[in-house]
Amino acid sequence: MPLTCSHLSVSYGRRRALSGFSLSMEKGEIRALIGPNGSGKSTALQALAGLIASSEGRAEIEGVSVASMSRRAIAKKLAFLPQQPVAPDEMTVAQLVRQGRFPHVGLFRSYGRKDEEAIAWALESTGLTGLAGRTLQELSGGERQRAWISAALAQEAAILLLDEPTSFLDIGYQVEVLDLVHRLSRERGVTIVMAIHDINQAIAVSDRISLLEKGELRFDGAPKALSESGLVEKTFRVKGTFVEVAPGKPPHFDVELTKLNRSGP
Amino acid sequence: MSANAPAIGQPSRWILPAALALVLISFVAAVFLGIVDIPARDVLSALTGTGSTEARSIILDIRLPRIVTGILAGMQFALAGLLLQTITRNPLADPSLMGVSQGATLTVTLFLLFTVYLANPDSYSVNELPIAWLPPAGMIGGMAAGGIIYLLAFRLDLSPLRITLCGIAIGAVLHAIAIGLIAGWGSARIEIILEWLSGSLYARTWDHALFLLPFTVAGLGMLPLIYRPLNLLRFDAAVARSFGLSYRRQFSLVLLVSCALAASAVGAVGPIVFVGLIVPHLARFLAGRHFPLVLPLTIVLGAVIVTLGDLVGRLAGGPEEVPIGVVTALMGVPVMLALLRRVP
Ligand SMILES: Nc1ncnc2c1ncn2[C@@H]1O[C@H](COP(=O)(O)OP(=O)(O)OP(=O)(O)O)[C@@H](O)[C@H]1O
Ligand SMILES: [Mg+2]
Repeated sequence: MPLTCSHLSVSYGRRRALSGFSLSMEKGEIRALIGPNGSGKSTALQALAGLIASSEGRAEIEGVSVASMSRRAIAKKLAFLPQQPVAPDEMTVAQLVRQGRFPHVGLFRSYGRKDEEAIAWALESTGLTGLAGRTLQELSGGERQRAWISAALAQEAAILLLDEPTSFLDIGYQVEVLDLVHRLSRERGVTIVMAIHDINQAIAVSDRISLLEKGELRFDGAPKALSESGLVEKTFRVKGTFVEVAPGKPPHFDVELTKLNRSGP
Repeated sequence: MSANAPAIGQPSRWILPAALALVLISFVAAVFLGIVDIPARDVLSALTGTGSTEARSIILDIRLPRIVTGILAGMQFALAGLLLQTITRNPLADPSLMGVSQGATLTVTLFLLFTVYLANPDSYSVNELPIAWLPPAGMIGGMAAGGIIYLLAFRLDLSPLRITLCGIAIGAVLHAIAIGLIAGWGSARIEIILEWLSGSLYARTWDHALFLLPFTVAGLGMLPLIYRPLNLLRFDAAVARSFGLSYRRQFSLVLLVSCALAASAVGAVGPIVFVGLIVPHLARFLAGRHFPLVLPLTIVLGAVIVTLGDLVGRLAGGPEEVPIGVVTALMGVPVMLALLRRVP
């Protein structure tokens, strides 16, 4: 299996952010990681990427412990988009995306045709070809986010971890990114784990969903099973119902906005 | 760097050749101009080994070695500053951030104190001072200080902020001890230290240039090895690591190169650290979005600034020349202020 982890626990100092998290991904599977703020989604992704050490359990890529791999070996197989990455303002989009090829070119090998193609494809897929020469400072928040997605794509890794890839995007690009995720998984067999806040997008795009609450895994299974479990309402402390939009399509979560009492002026 | 880069301004084509031409011009100016007026024809014949002994000795034994020493030291300071600013992501970093100049000051002071004062307390003869040993003494102190700060910050995860804070604290302590020693010393030899402290190319010989040369060559030779990591070290650690960089190892390597370049240069010419602060900013300003130009421009401009600064100091001060450290600081401040106005 491309990516697994079992009983993974992570603490920041004395505060435990993730306890006993388990996950096992099939090749080409799309997994949504949902949960309230501070529930441990980013922590789980970082632990899977080997960026923070776990106190218990371990993450494995194709059966090899992530902790035992070099950063470059990991980066060839796994690309990670952090929640709020920071880049130097004067860096251009093209320069950022080029960095995604580092695991392949290493210290000395010059950029070949395959690398340039990967870069061009990554820019193209995120609609950034025309902005490649701009510095990151000269981009809007959403464009900057797409630049980071593009850099992760340029890595051409078989596993993609995305931490809230749609959070700054307008609805058009949200759909575009989700569509891209879907195509990557189905056409290229890329295995994708993404933290995402929009329940409906999670249900629509993913094969399976993991629901976290206070660092603990509350649910792991298909979107339909989640919608029937009543866990979403409980975990997020909202009232709402899952409604059938069309037969065979995933259900839609309709949240009740009870706290807004809009009864005229 | 990419076919997609817009063609606005395109400084890339002419700026590097222009900077290289500037090196040549400043070098020639520094050879031909000086406090002793030597006609151009005599300079030329001195360079080819003919001409009067006096002209030969001024050109070959005084001017050339100090110019070459200055060029090497200037490149080293500028490169050290750029490396440090890049990996600490701190635009105000210069080699004194790693305690290099303070450590060197302390060991140079201690060295003079022990060898001269303790061994031969009655001597007032300046000739006996072991000046030839100052460069290695200063360099060892600079490296040691850098090493201490590195180890302290390493225990705390090597975050740029931690390095900065450790550097400031340790640097201040070393500096205070050195100043205390100098103040308590109160001897005529204090002049040597003061001159060294202000950063000077006065009386630099071929020995100094030869002392620096291996470090310059090694430092420049490391560049291909650290070039790509340097690009990635501009990100924070999590991003750099997820792009496949062994962050700690590469950070430490670049830091070591930077400290070695700065410490050897400080040892040879004293702390002209302002060059390390200002030149990378100037290079970034000129390169604009053409980041690959920043590194070569920094190296070339480091050589130019020190050569011109020293020439100005020699010409302005008359027989009592103004030390290069003072000139670069005076010239550098307005440049710095102008550049900083562009920072949002
Ligand atoms: N670097 C850190 N140091 C200390 N505590 C941290 C750190 N990062 C996260 N935490 C804590 O760990 C817990 C999980 O955080 P995490 O970032 O994984 O949540 P999240 O599910 O990604 O939340 P969000 O939806 O807001 O992004 C939170 O309680 C948070 O306060
Ligand atoms: Mg998060």
